[in-house]
Amino acid sequence: EEEGEKGTLKWKEGLQQKASEAFLRHQEAAPNLRKLVYGSVVEADDSEEDKEELGGLFRVSRPQKSKKFKANAVDCSRFIPDTSHNWDLEEMLNSIRDCFVTGKWEESQDAA
Amino acid sequence: MASQGLVYDGCNFFRQRLVLSTLSGKRVKIKNIRSKDDDPGLRDFEASFIRLLDKVTNGSRIEINQTGTVLFYQPGLLYGGSVEHDCNQQRSIGYYLEALLMLAPFMKTSLKATLRGVTNDPVDPTVDLLKSTALPVMKKFGIGGDGFELKVVKRGMAPGGGGEVVFTCPVCRTMRPVQLTDPGKIKRIRGVAYSVRVSPQMANRIVESARGVLNQFLPDIYIHTDHMKGANSGKSPGFGLTLVAETLNGSFLSAEMSSTPQGQGDPVLPEDLGRNCAKLLLEEIHRGGCVDSSNQSLALLLMTLGQQDVSKVLLGPLSPYTIEFLRHIRDFFQIMFKIEVQKPFEDERKGGDKVLMTCVGVGYSNINKTLK
Repeated sequence: EEEGEKGTLKWKEGLQQKASEAFLRHQEAAPNLRKLVYGSVVEADDSEEDKEELGGLFRVSRPQKSKKFKANAVDCSRFIPDTSHNWDLEEMLNSIRDCFVTGKWEESQDAA
Repeated sequence: MASQGLVYDGCNFFRQRLVLSTLSGKRVKIKNIRSKDDDPGLRDFEASFIRLLDKVTNGSRIEINQTGTVLFYQPGLLYGGSVEHDCNQQRSIGYYLEALLMLAPFMKTSLKATLRGVTNDPVDPTVDLLKSTALPVMKKFGIGGDGFELKVVKRGMAPGGGGEVVFTCPVCRTMRPVQLTDPGKIKRIRGVAYSVRVSPQMANRIVESARGVLNQFLPDIYIHTDHMKGANSGKSPGFGLTLVAETLNGSFLSAEMSSTPQGQGDPVLPEDLGRNCAKLLLEEIHRGGCVDSSNQSLALLLMTLGQQDVSKVLLGPLSPYTIEFLRHIRDFFQIMFKIEVQKPFEDERKGGDKVLMTCVGVGYSNINKTLK
């Protein structure tokens, strides 16, 4: 009887660990925007400036130029559009056709 | 450390820090403001912004060091009332108004703000854009009713300015939680083509070329032409276009373009401006969502301040400004959003990836509001 009980209980062993492993796998698979937003805040750190040496005498300091996060950049809410989109191309125009009432409707919503 | 509140570096995201500080009541200290610049410290437009903040609040304490590179701000109560402000012309009224929109519903008495300065420039969202997109977003959260209005009295183009807008907003006790997950299809496109101190024909030329692009999608397009004259036309010549696409579910997606300010760079042809602005609107539609990219942070703020209930809003890709805003919301209100990417189906022609933002509001209620 004891053995039988052990058998039924075996799947319960390490449930928590299994669950956490599955969770982590899932987290890594999906591109995690949340981590991008909250995970690593890039801070302007003065000590990590890229420094090049010129002739072993001068140090060229290029602060913040290459950094994604610019602490002293212009405070502006405008979202610069993606320049790779060419709105003269038919292909590009077709990609948004169904956003309009004139486009194709979902079956459930189509009155026709 | 504790007495200084939150500490930040640099002048970027200046407005959102001060706005969130005012709403949360947390003090903020901003260091190293252009400390390595040839001309260090706060600029005139930032000083002008602080003065505006001082006008709408009561009991704020602001300390700035001698070089202007360190700012300490202890927020007072939001008072509101009738406020007049001459906005510095380095930035347009949109710069100031964006912050004011976030604060206005939480005043003690309803706000009537008269702002003077540059109404339209290529850098910041113009007053026309905010009027046609930000106000509808706020209405979704239950702000509004009588006296919720933004009126362009005089138009003033950059760099001279001379424009005037009046913004009135009633006070609001609590924010309504929202579920904006389906934008619906676009039923019509509206717009304003404005021109001042140039030939009125400019506006017509803009309308013509913008229609040429947009008519491929929709027949219902009406672009209003607005030519202001005399005292209402400000000090500088210029023209521009604001386009707004309205969906069946009442979402607004917008795009805009202004002519280059006089004496700054190459002049633009009205035909090019119209066509390019129409393409910008297509880009915005490709991004999609229930709130357009320029109002993302406003919507996220109102979600955060909502009652203790779940709010959901579908957005297009998050702008860098919005991402930083989310980080600041975490700092000031300890709220983190659930962020889910929604990929479009294969045969769907509805633009790019969307992002579903979910959060539970902090249950913010307007403590400043007087009980009657």
